[in-house]
Amino acid sequence: MFDISSFLISWLPLFGIYAILSLCLNMEVGYAGMANFGLVAFYGIGAFVAGYTSITIFLTFHGYNYPIYSQEAIIAMGKVAGKTPWLNISVFILSLILSFLIAGLAGYLVSYPTLRVGPAFLGITILSFGEMLRVFMKHFAPTGGAYGMLGIPHPFAWIPDSAIKNISFLILTLAILILVLIYFELLANSPYGRVLKSIREDEIASLCIGKPVPQIKARLLFVASGISGVAGALYAFYLGAVTPDMFITAVTFEVWSMVILGGRGNNFGALLGASFFSLLNRATSILNFLFSDLPIDPNYVRWMITGALIVIILMYKPKGVIAEKPIKTEAWKIFGAYGESRRKLIAAILKIIDYLRRAFYWLIGRETGYEPDIKGSKRE
Amino acid sequence: MNPILRVQNVSKRFGGVEALKDVSLEVKRGSVTGLIGPNGSGKSTLFNVITGFYKPDFGSVYFEGKRIDGLNPDEIYNMGIARTFQTPRLFGPLTTLENMMLSPKGQRGESLLRAPLRKTWLNEEMQIANEVKSLLKEFDMDGLYKMLASDLSGGHVKMVETSKGILGRAKLILLDEPTAGVHYAVGKNLFEHINYLRKAYNLTFFIIEHRIDLLFDYVDYVYVLHMGRLLSEGTPEEVASDPKVIEAYIGGA
Repeated sequence: MFDISSFLISWLPLFGIYAILSLCLNMEVGYAGMANFGLVAFYGIGAFVAGYTSITIFLTFHGYNYPIYSQEAIIAMGKVAGKTPWLNISVFILSLILSFLIAGLAGYLVSYPTLRVGPAFLGITILSFGEMLRVFMKHFAPTGGAYGMLGIPHPFAWIPDSAIKNISFLILTLAILILVLIYFELLANSPYGRVLKSIREDEIASLCIGKPVPQIKARLLFVASGISGVAGALYAFYLGAVTPDMFITAVTFEVWSMVILGGRGNNFGALLGASFFSLLNRATSILNFLFSDLPIDPNYVRWMITGALIVIILMYKPKGVIAEKPIKTEAWKIFGAYGESRRKLIAAILKIIDYLRRAFYWLIGRETGYEPDIKGSKRE
Repeated sequence: MNPILRVQNVSKRFGGVEALKDVSLEVKRGSVTGLIGPNGSGKSTLFNVITGFYKPDFGSVYFEGKRIDGLNPDEIYNMGIARTFQTPRLFGPLTTLENMMLSPKGQRGESLLRAPLRKTWLNEEMQIANEVKSLLKEFDMDGLYKMLASDLSGGHVKMVETSKGILGRAKLILLDEPTAGVHYAVGKNLFEHINYLRKAYNLTFFIIEHRIDLLFDYVDYVYVLHMGRLLSEGTPEEVASDPKVIEAYIGGA
């Protein structure tokens, strides 16, 4: 009915982008307890920055003088996108860096005034910031208003075979995801991660042991918003187009549900949540495509499933599928608890092997050799 | 001997309520100083002013000769003043070990840039862990390191809280009702502990306490607050026999 490889090619980049987003949100919500309800704002800023920079640079480089949202520009982009591989790659890298910086700066500036007054204010401020930004972008002519920007040059547009082109992009996305994951894992399992958790649990107590809470939060927001911006840039390059209406508030809540499902305060939980919900997203689209005469659009069913899942998870597994663990720094070694779970696992496996061995000997009716057990004595 | 903490003419007003009126006091280095007074007399407000949670309307606070009113709570901690709260504020879902390892100030691995570079903070981390281990052993709590702080008993929570001050290299520790909610014998034990710490680590304690019978056995000097004013001060014997104090505690206005 459909082949696996093309499904993977359509799913994995989406998974990668959402996974980066949910890792960022997990850092803010799961570790530092900052209710970021406006993740989509930074995601959108990243996408727009990437679209704007890449198209502008391409048009200028090739000597066109059209406004970037005009039809002529889109046609021109179609002509020149595959001509200069080095330009594609360098523009791509430059866009990612700019997206990181601008989205990060936006996160820092928006959150800074509210950081001292508690999580609810931060959440509401960023939430409304995201929505205001979307409405603003809809009416902002230089980036194409409601139509947005089309013809964003794919970093691998110069590869003629579209399958290879897509696979290269997929690998690139997953590579960035792995880098982000490693970075966040290192951050989380360090004294810094410990401080973040203390802030999540009790801001005042954390202040009282000398942690400059507002500063720590603002810096974390810079990094996490910046990386959300990178995810947005990847999304722009993946689709080749950005419009303001791609960045509705629902995107934020989709990422929230990923984090809630997977487990707050656990990066691998965030990955699990992202893979599940992006798979659900793809699956409903495919269902919609395969069975066009369904009585209800599967895309709506997706939201129902999401809502029902959140309720079920919060009722039966409030910590998420993969619950939070104490942070791992070498300090545990001194107490002899480091790697304890691994030792237990090995011991359990050895025990099972031993049982299997005994069962085998029992089946073929031989003594086990070194164990003078009751069975052996009876036989005498 | 010069005082480690000097509060000078501090006033603090919340709307129409004058929580502190022209309060001046001194805490001597190496002493255990008590602060008593009926409910609502401004004891906790005074602690909040000293630790930077409130800015005084008038007056000033000096710590080791440096003016500290107006600084942020984290800056004041870094100067060497640790505090506890009336209701214990450990980080519940974190283990005892993590709770204690949070206390040392200025850890390298706590910066966003250095945290991913393990090598830059590993030595420091191990040093702190060793120190935590020996502290836990010293207080007979070695088995508790991997217990969640929310699972600790009330007495242990208080012990961990005071021990955190030592890890943070605090010179002055402010305790807000350390024996609230624990049994008399445990409270006595805790004061013995405080007395021991003072000598062993050269600390100064400033303690709010409602259990005057317990407190008076261990303190060197007592201040009495009443309706935001300093009512009386002196050694425990002097204060206990002061008629003003008796009146404030037993009745009257």
